[in-house]
Amino acid sequence: MFPILGKKKYSPTIKMAASSSAGRVLTLCKQFQNVFRISSSINTQHCSTTLIKYQPRLYREKSPLAALSWYSPASSVGQCRALHTTINRRGLEEFFDLPENWGETNVKSGAPWTAKQLRTKSNEDLHKLWYVLLKEKNLLLTLEQEARRQRVQMPSPERSRKVERSMIRLETVVKERETALRLLQTGQEKARPGAWRRNVFGYVYWYRFKEYAIPWHMNRRYKRKRFFTPKFVQPHIRLRIEKHLREKARKATLEKKTQSKLKEKFPRVKVSAS
Amino acid sequence: MRLTALLSMAARVVIPKDYRFGTNRPWTPAAKRLNPPGKKRRKVFVEPIAPEDWSVLRGDTVEILKGKDKGKHGKVIQVFRHRNWVMLEGLNTHYRYIGKTGDYRGTYIASEAPILLHDVALIDPSDRKPTDVEWKFTEEGERVRVSLRTGRIIPKPIVERRDGIVPQQWKDGLKDTSPEDTLEKTYVPSLKTLEEEVMEKLGIQEKRRPQRSYWY
Repeated sequence: MFPILGKKKYSPTIKMAASSSAGRVLTLCKQFQNVFRISSSINTQHCSTTLIKYQPRLYREKSPLAALSWYSPASSVGQCRALHTTINRRGLEEFFDLPENWGETNVKSGAPWTAKQLRTKSNEDLHKLWYVLLKEKNLLLTLEQEARRQRVQMPSPERSRKVERSMIRLETVVKERETALRLLQTGQEKARPGAWRRNVFGYVYWYRFKEYAIPWHMNRRYKRKRFFTPKFVQPHIRLRIEKHLREKARKATLEKKTQSKLKEKFPRVKVSAS
Repeated sequence: MRLTALLSMAARVVIPKDYRFGTNRPWTPAAKRLNPPGKKRRKVFVEPIAPEDWSVLRGDTVEILKGKDKGKHGKVIQVFRHRNWVMLEGLNTHYRYIGKTGDYRGTYIASEAPILLHDVALIDPSDRKPTDVEWKFTEEGERVRVSLRTGRIIPKPIVERRDGIVPQQWKDGLKDTSPEDTLEKTYVPSLKTLEEEVMEKLGIQEKRRPQRSYWY
Protein backbone atom coordinates (compact mmCIF):
# COMPACT_ATOMS: atom_id res chain seq x y z
CA MET A 1 0.00 0.00 0.00
CA PHE A 2 2.30 2.76 -1.21
CA PRO A 3 0.13 5.46 -2.70
CA ILE A 4 2.70 8.22 -3.00
CA LEU A 5 5.52 8.63 -5.52
CA GLY A 6 8.15 9.15 -2.87
CA LYS A 7 7.77 5.68 -1.45
CA LYS A 8 8.25 3.76 -4.71
CA LYS A 9 11.96 4.32 -5.01
CA TYR A 10 12.60 3.08 -1.49
CA SER A 11 10.94 -0.27 -1.86
CA PRO A 12 13.95 -1.82 -3.64
CA THR A 13 16.17 -0.80 -0.76
CA ILE A 14 13.86 -2.45 1.70
CA LYS A 15 14.03 -5.69 -0.30
CA MET A 16 17.81 -5.33 -0.39
CA ALA A 17 17.90 -4.99 3.32
CA ALA A 18 16.37 -8.40 3.72
CA SER A 19 19.14 -10.05 1.71
CA SER A 20 22.31 -8.16 2.58
CA SER A 21 23.38 -7.44 6.06
CA ALA A 22 26.28 -5.25 4.92
CA GLY A 23 24.05 -2.64 3.46
CA ARG A 24 21.88 -2.79 6.51
CA VAL A 25 23.15 0.39 8.09
CA LEU A 26 22.62 2.33 4.88
CA THR A 27 19.13 1.01 4.41
CA LEU A 28 18.37 1.73 8.04
CA CYS A 29 19.23 5.37 7.49
CA LYS A 30 17.13 5.43 4.34
CA GLN A 31 14.22 3.97 6.23
CA PHE A 32 14.48 6.64 8.86
CA GLN A 33 14.69 9.25 6.15
CA ASN A 34 11.43 8.15 4.78
CA VAL A 35 10.03 7.83 8.27
CA PHE A 36 8.23 4.60 7.58
CA ARG A 37 6.46 2.69 10.17
CA ILE A 38 8.27 -0.60 10.51
CA SER A 39 5.10 -2.35 11.53
CA SER A 40 2.98 -1.35 8.57
CA SER A 41 -0.28 -1.79 10.31
CA ILE A 42 -1.27 1.80 9.77
CA ASN A 43 -3.50 2.64 6.83
CA THR A 44 -1.42 4.92 4.65
CA GLN A 45 -4.30 6.39 2.76
CA HIS A 46 -4.45 9.45 4.95
CA CYS A 47 -1.20 10.63 3.47
CA SER A 48 -1.50 14.16 4.79
CA THR A 49 -0.72 12.98 8.29
CA THR A 50 1.31 9.82 7.97
CA LEU A 51 4.16 10.54 5.56
CA ILE A 52 5.54 13.64 7.12
CA LYS A 53 5.81 12.32 10.60
CA TYR A 54 8.35 12.91 13.33
CA GLN A 55 9.70 15.94 11.73
CA PRO A 56 12.30 17.84 13.74
CA ARG A 57 9.96 20.39 15.19
CA LEU A 58 6.33 20.63 16.05
CA TYR A 59 3.89 23.24 17.10
CA ARG A 60 0.81 22.21 18.93
CA GLU A 61 -2.18 24.28 18.02
CA LYS A 62 -4.68 25.14 20.66
CA SER A 63 -7.63 24.38 18.40
CA PRO A 64 -7.44 21.08 16.56
CA LEU A 65 -9.91 22.44 14.02
CA ALA A 66 -7.31 24.67 12.39
CA ALA A 67 -6.45 23.31 8.97
CA LEU A 68 -2.95 22.38 7.92
CA SER A 69 -1.63 24.40 5.05
CA TRP A 70 1.32 23.52 2.87
CA TYR A 71 4.35 25.47 1.77
CA SER A 72 3.76 25.11 -1.96
CA PRO A 73 0.27 26.17 -2.98
CA ALA A 74 0.58 24.07 -6.12
CA SER A 75 0.20 20.74 -4.32
CA SER A 76 -3.36 19.46 -4.12
CA VAL A 77 -5.01 18.39 -0.92
CA GLY A 78 -4.76 14.69 -1.64
CA GLN A 79 -1.06 14.75 -2.54
CA CYS A 80 1.75 15.11 -0.05
CA ARG A 81 5.08 16.67 -0.76
CA ALA A 82 7.77 14.16 -0.09
CA LEU A 83 11.08 15.24 1.37
CA HIS A 84 12.80 14.93 -2.04
CA THR A 85 11.10 14.65 -5.34
CA THR A 86 14.23 14.14 -7.45
CA ILE A 87 16.58 11.18 -7.49
CA ASN A 88 18.61 11.01 -4.33
CA ARG A 89 22.05 12.37 -5.21
CA ARG A 90 23.95 10.44 -2.57
CA GLY A 91 21.86 12.20 0.07
CA LEU A 92 24.05 15.30 0.21
CA GLU A 93 21.06 17.54 -0.32
CA GLU A 94 19.92 16.50 3.13
CA PHE A 95 22.64 18.76 4.45
CA PHE A 96 20.87 21.71 2.95
CA ASP A 97 17.53 23.30 3.57
CA LEU A 98 14.67 23.31 1.09
CA PRO A 99 15.53 25.42 -1.98
CA GLU A 100 12.77 27.94 -1.19
CA ASN A 101 14.53 28.86 2.03
CA TRP A 102 17.88 29.58 0.41
CA GLY A 103 18.79 33.23 0.88
CA GLU A 104 15.99 34.08 3.29
CA THR A 105 16.76 35.86 6.53
CA ASN A 106 13.87 34.45 8.52
CA VAL A 107 12.78 30.85 8.38
CA LYS A 108 9.83 30.09 10.58
CA SER A 109 10.00 27.01 12.76
CA GLY A 110 7.73 25.40 15.28
CA ALA A 111 8.23 24.63 18.95
CA PRO A 112 10.66 21.97 20.18
CA TRP A 113 9.47 18.57 21.44
CA THR A 114 8.68 18.51 25.16
CA ALA A 115 9.62 15.67 27.48
CA LYS A 116 5.93 15.05 28.23
CA GLN A 117 5.16 14.48 24.56
CA LEU A 118 8.24 12.32 24.07
CA ARG A 119 7.25 10.07 26.95
CA THR A 120 4.13 8.98 25.06
CA LYS A 121 6.18 7.69 22.14
CA SER A 122 7.44 4.14 21.72
CA ASN A 123 11.14 3.29 21.72
CA GLU A 124 11.16 2.71 18.00
CA ASP A 125 9.63 6.13 17.33
CA LEU A 126 12.15 7.78 19.61
CA HIS A 127 14.95 5.99 17.78
CA LYS A 128 13.67 7.35 14.45
CA LEU A 129 13.13 10.82 15.84
CA TRP A 130 16.67 10.93 17.14
CA TYR A 131 18.06 10.48 13.64
CA VAL A 132 15.65 13.01 12.16
CA LEU A 133 16.79 15.52 14.77
CA LEU A 134 20.43 14.64 14.14
CA LYS A 135 20.09 15.30 10.44
CA GLU A 136 18.36 18.60 11.13
CA LYS A 137 21.19 19.53 13.47
CA ASN A 138 23.75 18.74 10.77
CA LEU A 139 21.77 20.86 8.35
CA LEU A 140 21.77 23.80 10.73
CA LEU A 141 25.46 23.39 11.53
CA THR A 142 26.40 23.47 7.84
CA LEU A 143 24.21 26.53 7.48
CA GLU A 144 25.93 28.19 10.42
CA GLN A 145 29.40 27.41 9.08
CA GLU A 146 28.52 28.67 5.63
CA ALA A 147 27.06 31.86 7.09
CA ARG A 148 30.31 32.34 9.01
CA ARG A 149 32.29 31.84 5.85
CA GLN A 150 30.19 34.36 3.96
CA ARG A 151 30.33 36.70 7.00
CA VAL A 152 26.56 36.88 7.11
CA GLN A 153 24.11 36.31 9.95
CA MET A 154 22.64 32.84 10.14
CA PRO A 155 18.88 32.87 9.40
CA SER A 156 16.83 31.98 12.50
CA PRO A 157 19.55 30.71 14.87
CA GLU A 158 16.92 29.70 17.43
CA ARG A 159 16.31 26.55 15.35
CA SER A 160 19.60 25.01 16.51
CA ARG A 161 18.70 25.66 20.12
CA LYS A 162 15.28 24.08 19.63
CA VAL A 163 16.80 20.97 18.05
CA GLU A 164 19.41 20.76 20.81
CA ARG A 165 16.76 20.96 23.50
CA SER A 166 14.61 18.32 21.80
CA MET A 167 17.58 15.96 21.63
CA ILE A 168 18.46 16.51 25.28
CA ARG A 169 14.88 15.83 26.31
CA LEU A 170 14.77 12.69 24.20
CA GLU A 171 17.92 11.43 25.87
CA THR A 172 16.44 12.19 29.28
CA VAL A 173 13.32 10.17 28.47
CA VAL A 174 15.38 7.22 27.24
CA LYS A 175 17.58 7.36 30.35
CA GLU A 176 14.48 7.45 32.57
CA ARG A 177 13.11 4.30 30.95
CA GLU A 178 16.46 2.57 31.25
CA THR A 179 16.79 3.53 34.93
CA ALA A 180 13.28 2.28 35.68
CA LEU A 181 13.99 -1.07 34.05
CA ARG A 182 17.34 -1.42 35.77
CA LEU A 183 15.87 -0.61 39.20
CA LEU A 184 13.16 -3.16 38.64
CA GLN A 185 15.43 -5.94 37.46
CA THR A 186 18.60 -5.41 39.46
CA GLY A 187 17.94 -2.72 42.07
CA GLN A 188 21.00 -0.73 40.89
CA GLU A 189 20.43 3.02 40.85
CA LYS A 190 23.45 3.89 38.76
CA ALA A 191 24.21 2.51 35.32
CA ARG A 192 27.95 2.97 35.67
CA PRO A 193 29.68 1.18 38.59
CA GLY A 194 31.61 3.19 41.14
CA ALA A 195 32.66 3.39 44.77
CA TRP A 196 33.16 5.92 47.56
CA ARG A 197 36.90 6.50 47.82
CA ARG A 198 39.15 8.82 49.73
CA ASN A 199 41.70 10.75 47.73
CA VAL A 200 45.16 12.03 48.71
CA PHE A 201 43.75 15.33 49.98
CA GLY A 202 41.39 13.73 52.47
CA TYR A 203 38.19 14.16 50.44
CA VAL A 204 35.74 11.31 50.15
CA TYR A 205 34.13 11.30 46.73
CA TRP A 206 32.24 9.01 44.36
CA TYR A 207 34.86 7.48 42.12
CA ARG A 208 33.36 6.29 38.83
CA PHE A 209 34.90 3.12 37.45
CA LYS A 210 36.46 3.02 34.03
CA GLU A 211 36.57 0.12 31.64
CA TYR A 212 39.97 -1.50 31.11
CA ALA A 213 41.21 -4.47 29.12
CA ILE A 214 43.61 -5.65 31.84
CA PRO A 215 42.93 -6.31 35.55
CA TRP A 216 43.98 -3.69 38.12
CA HIS A 217 47.00 -5.56 39.44
CA MET A 218 48.57 -5.46 35.97
CA ASN A 219 47.79 -1.78 35.38
CA ARG A 220 50.87 0.24 36.35
CA ARG A 221 49.26 3.66 36.01
CA TYR A 222 46.29 2.65 38.14
CA LYS A 223 48.57 1.30 40.89
CA ARG A 224 50.29 4.71 41.12
CA LYS A 225 46.97 6.34 42.07
CA ARG A 226 46.55 6.64 45.82
CA PHE A 227 43.12 6.14 47.28
CA PHE A 228 44.17 6.81 50.84
CA THR A 229 45.26 9.90 52.78
CA PRO A 230 48.85 9.96 54.11
CA LYS A 231 49.36 10.85 57.76
CA PHE A 232 51.07 14.20 57.16
CA VAL A 233 47.89 15.53 55.52
CA GLN A 234 45.92 15.33 58.81
CA PRO A 235 46.89 18.81 60.15
CA HIS A 236 45.83 20.38 56.84
CA ILE A 237 42.49 18.61 57.03
CA ARG A 238 41.96 20.03 60.50
CA LEU A 239 42.73 23.55 59.30
CA ARG A 240 40.34 23.04 56.41
CA ILE A 241 37.55 21.97 58.74
CA GLU A 242 38.17 25.03 60.92
CA LYS A 243 38.02 27.32 57.91
CA HIS A 244 34.79 25.70 56.76
CA LEU A 245 33.19 26.15 60.19
CA ARG A 246 34.25 29.78 60.33
CA GLU A 247 32.73 30.42 56.92
CA LYS A 248 29.50 28.73 57.95
CA ALA A 249 29.30 30.85 61.12
CA ARG A 250 29.98 34.02 59.08
CA LYS A 251 27.24 33.13 56.61
CA ALA A 252 24.77 32.46 59.42
CA THR A 253 25.45 35.81 61.10
CA LEU A 254 25.21 37.62 57.78
CA GLU A 255 21.88 35.94 57.09
CA LYS A 256 20.58 36.94 60.54
CA LYS A 257 21.72 40.54 60.06
CA THR A 258 20.04 40.85 56.64
CA GLN A 259 16.82 39.35 57.99
CA SER A 260 16.72 41.83 60.91
CA LYS A 261 17.45 44.73 58.55
CA LEU A 262 14.70 43.58 56.17
CA LYS A 263 12.23 43.34 59.08
CA GLU A 264 13.18 46.86 60.15
CA LYS A 265 12.81 48.29 56.63
CA PHE A 266 9.74 46.40 55.53
CA PRO A 267 7.35 45.76 58.41
CA ARG A 268 5.43 43.15 56.47
CA VAL A 269 1.80 42.93 57.44
CA LYS A 270 0.72 39.34 56.81
CA VAL A 271 -2.78 39.27 55.26
CA SER A 272 -4.44 35.96 55.99
CA ALA A 273 -6.14 34.36 53.00
CA SER A 274 -9.88 34.58 53.40
CA MET B 1 34.79 17.74 27.92
CA ARG B 2 36.99 20.17 29.79
CA LEU B 3 37.36 22.41 26.75
CA THR B 4 33.62 22.73 26.28
CA ALA B 5 33.18 23.47 29.98
CA LEU B 6 35.78 26.23 29.69
CA LEU B 7 34.10 27.69 26.63
CA SER B 8 30.70 27.63 28.27
CA MET B 9 32.19 29.32 31.33
CA ALA B 10 33.53 32.09 29.12
CA ALA B 11 30.16 32.51 27.42
CA ARG B 12 28.08 32.54 30.59
CA VAL B 13 28.11 35.69 32.68
CA VAL B 14 29.01 35.18 36.34
CA ILE B 15 26.88 37.34 38.66
CA PRO B 16 28.48 37.89 42.10
CA LYS B 17 26.32 37.65 45.23
CA ASP B 18 26.27 41.40 45.87
CA TYR B 19 25.46 42.28 42.26
CA ARG B 20 23.33 45.38 41.95
CA PHE B 21 20.72 44.67 39.31
CA GLY B 22 19.71 47.51 37.04
CA THR B 23 17.37 47.91 34.10
CA ASN B 24 19.90 46.34 31.72
CA ARG B 25 20.33 42.61 31.53
CA PRO B 26 23.68 41.48 33.06
CA TRP B 27 25.19 40.14 29.84
CA THR B 28 24.67 43.35 27.82
CA PRO B 29 27.60 45.77 27.28
CA ALA B 30 25.69 48.56 29.05
CA ALA B 31 25.35 46.46 32.20
CA LYS B 32 28.99 45.41 31.98
CA ARG B 33 29.98 49.08 31.82
CA LEU B 34 27.85 50.02 34.83
CA ASN B 35 28.77 46.93 36.89
CA PRO B 36 32.38 45.97 36.08
CA PRO B 37 33.70 42.87 37.90
CA GLY B 38 35.56 44.67 40.68
CA LYS B 39 32.98 47.23 41.75
CA LYS B 40 31.16 47.19 45.08
CA ARG B 41 28.14 49.37 45.64
CA ARG B 42 25.96 49.98 48.67
CA LYS B 43 23.57 47.09 49.14
CA VAL B 44 19.92 47.66 48.20
CA PHE B 45 17.36 45.90 50.34
CA VAL B 46 14.56 44.38 48.31
CA GLU B 47 11.37 43.35 50.00
CA PRO B 48 11.14 39.58 49.61
CA ILE B 49 7.91 38.72 47.77
CA ALA B 50 7.19 35.04 47.23
CA PRO B 51 6.83 34.03 43.57
CA GLU B 52 3.24 32.90 44.11
CA ASP B 53 2.28 36.26 45.64
CA TRP B 54 3.45 38.33 42.68
CA SER B 55 0.28 39.83 41.18
CA VAL B 56 1.41 42.30 38.49
CA LEU B 57 2.10 40.60 35.14
CA ARG B 58 3.50 41.91 31.89
CA GLY B 59 0.77 43.53 29.82
CA ASP B 60 -1.40 44.50 32.82
CA THR B 61 -2.85 48.00 33.13
CA VAL B 62 -1.88 49.52 36.46
CA GLU B 63 -2.27 52.89 38.16
CA ILE B 64 0.62 54.78 39.71
CA LEU B 65 0.02 55.78 43.32
CA LYS B 66 3.11 57.85 44.05
CA GLY B 67 5.54 59.97 42.09
CA LYS B 68 5.51 62.34 39.19
CA ASP B 69 2.76 60.60 37.21
CA LYS B 70 0.50 59.92 40.15
CA GLY B 71 -2.98 58.78 39.20
CA LYS B 72 -2.10 57.82 35.63
CA HIS B 73 -2.86 54.45 34.08
CA GLY B 74 -0.16 52.62 32.18
CA LYS B 75 0.61 49.27 30.61
CA VAL B 76 3.38 47.18 32.09
CA ILE B 77 6.15 46.47 29.58
CA GLN B 78 8.78 44.87 31.80
CA VAL B 79 8.93 43.37 35.23
CA PHE B 80 12.16 43.19 37.26
CA ARG B 81 11.70 40.59 39.94
CA HIS B 82 15.13 41.05 41.51
CA ARG B 83 14.43 44.68 42.44
CA ASN B 84 10.60 44.55 42.63
CA TRP B 85 10.43 47.02 39.76
CA VAL B 86 7.83 47.56 37.09
CA MET B 87 8.44 49.44 33.86
CA LEU B 88 5.43 51.23 32.43
CA GLU B 89 5.02 52.41 28.88
CA GLY B 90 5.69 56.14 28.50
CA LEU B 91 5.18 56.97 32.19
CA ASN B 92 7.61 58.13 34.87
CA THR B 93 9.91 59.44 32.18
CA HIS B 94 13.00 61.59 32.26
CA TYR B 95 14.61 63.05 29.18
CA ARG B 96 18.06 62.39 27.84
CA TYR B 97 20.18 62.62 24.72
CA ILE B 98 21.06 59.45 22.88
CA GLY B 99 23.67 58.82 20.17
CA LYS B 100 25.94 61.74 20.92
CA THR B 101 28.94 61.94 18.53
CA GLY B 102 31.56 64.68 18.50
CA ASP B 103 29.77 68.03 18.23
CA TYR B 104 26.30 66.61 17.57
CA ARG B 105 24.32 66.61 20.79
CA GLY B 106 22.23 63.55 19.85
CA THR B 107 18.51 62.80 19.81
CA TYR B 108 16.41 64.03 22.71
CA ILE B 109 14.29 61.11 23.87
CA ALA B 110 12.06 60.30 26.81
CA SER B 111 13.26 57.25 28.71
CA GLU B 112 11.15 55.54 31.36
CA ALA B 113 12.37 54.91 34.87
CA PRO B 114 11.29 51.79 36.76
CA ILE B 115 8.71 52.08 39.55
CA LEU B 116 8.58 49.99 42.72
CA LEU B 117 5.82 47.41 42.86
CA HIS B 118 4.61 48.99 46.09
CA ASP B 119 3.87 52.26 44.28
CA VAL B 120 1.54 50.76 41.68
CA ALA B 121 -1.81 49.05 42.01
CA LEU B 122 -3.81 46.91 39.66
CA ILE B 123 -6.93 48.46 38.19
CA ASP B 124 -10.33 46.87 38.71
CA PRO B 125 -11.89 46.54 35.25
CA SER B 126 -15.41 47.22 36.55
CA ASP B 127 -14.88 50.68 38.09
CA ARG B 128 -11.40 51.53 36.85
CA LYS B 129 -10.01 52.30 40.29
CA PRO B 130 -6.87 50.90 41.94
CA THR B 131 -7.42 47.84 44.17
CA ASP B 132 -5.56 45.32 46.25
CA VAL B 133 -5.44 41.92 44.70
CA GLU B 134 -5.30 38.39 46.08
CA TRP B 135 -4.79 35.03 44.42
CA LYS B 136 -7.73 32.74 44.80
CA PHE B 137 -9.02 29.53 43.24
CA THR B 138 -12.18 29.40 41.12
CA GLU B 139 -14.78 26.64 41.10
CA GLU B 140 -12.95 24.91 38.25
CA GLY B 141 -9.67 25.01 40.15
CA GLU B 142 -8.05 27.80 38.19
CA ARG B 143 -5.84 30.23 40.10
CA VAL B 144 -7.00 33.80 39.44
CA ARG B 145 -6.50 37.28 40.82
CA VAL B 146 -9.48 38.62 42.72
CA SER B 147 -9.86 42.28 43.66
CA LEU B 148 -10.45 42.64 47.39
CA ARG B 149 -12.78 45.63 47.17
CA THR B 150 -15.28 44.50 44.56
CA GLY B 151 -14.53 40.78 44.33
CA ARG B 152 -14.22 40.86 40.55
CA ILE B 153 -11.76 38.53 38.81
CA ILE B 154 -8.97 40.34 37.01
CA PRO B 155 -8.11 38.32 33.90
CA LYS B 156 -4.58 37.51 32.86
CA PRO B 157 -3.33 39.95 30.20
CA ILE B 158 -2.78 38.68 26.67
CA VAL B 159 0.85 39.29 25.82
CA GLU B 160 2.36 38.97 22.37
CA ARG B 161 5.19 36.48 22.13
CA ARG B 162 8.65 37.80 21.45
CA ASP B 163 8.89 35.91 18.17
CA GLY B 164 5.54 37.27 17.03
CA ILE B 165 3.79 33.89 16.82
CA VAL B 166 0.07 33.78 17.63
CA PRO B 167 -0.72 30.18 18.61
CA GLN B 168 -4.29 30.32 17.31
CA GLN B 169 -3.17 31.39 13.84
CA TRP B 170 -0.20 29.06 13.50
CA LYS B 171 0.05 27.00 10.35
CA ASP B 172 2.37 23.99 10.35
CA GLY B 173 5.39 24.13 8.09
CA LEU B 174 6.81 21.22 6.13
CA LYS B 175 9.14 20.17 8.90
CA ASP B 176 6.55 20.45 11.65
CA THR B 177 4.72 17.45 13.04
CA SER B 178 0.96 17.79 13.08
CA PRO B 179 -0.79 18.01 16.46
CA GLU B 180 -2.50 14.63 16.07
CA ASP B 181 0.79 12.88 15.42
CA THR B 182 2.47 14.58 18.34
CA LEU B 183 -0.19 13.63 20.83
CA GLU B 184 -0.62 10.11 19.53
CA LYS B 185 0.40 7.59 22.16
CA THR B 186 2.52 4.78 20.78
CA TYR B 187 4.36 3.75 23.95
CA VAL B 188 3.73 0.22 25.14
CA PRO B 189 5.60 -0.46 28.38
CA SER B 190 7.68 -3.60 28.21
CA LEU B 191 10.61 -5.17 29.95
CA LYS B 192 12.94 -4.49 27.05
CA THR B 193 15.50 -1.73 26.70
CA LEU B 194 15.39 0.59 23.70
CA GLU B 195 18.32 -1.21 22.11
CA GLU B 196 16.72 -4.64 22.44
CA GLU B 197 13.40 -3.46 21.07
CA VAL B 198 14.93 -1.72 18.10
CA MET B 199 17.17 -4.69 17.34
CA GLU B 200 14.16 -6.97 17.42
CA LYS B 201 12.14 -4.74 15.12
CA LEU B 202 14.97 -4.40 12.63
CA GLY B 203 15.85 -8.07 12.81
CA ILE B 204 19.42 -7.51 13.97
CA GLN B 205 20.88 -10.50 15.72
CA GLU B 206 23.97 -9.92 17.78
CA LYS B 207 25.65 -13.29 18.10
CA ARG B 208 29.02 -11.95 19.23
CA ARG B 209 29.90 -12.08 22.89
CA PRO B 210 31.64 -9.05 24.42
CA GLN B 211 35.28 -9.46 25.25
CA ARG B 212 36.25 -9.72 28.88
CA SER B 213 36.76 -6.26 30.37
CA TYR B 214 37.50 -5.00 33.86
CA TRP B 215 35.81 -2.14 35.65
CA TYR B 216 37.78 -0.35 38.36
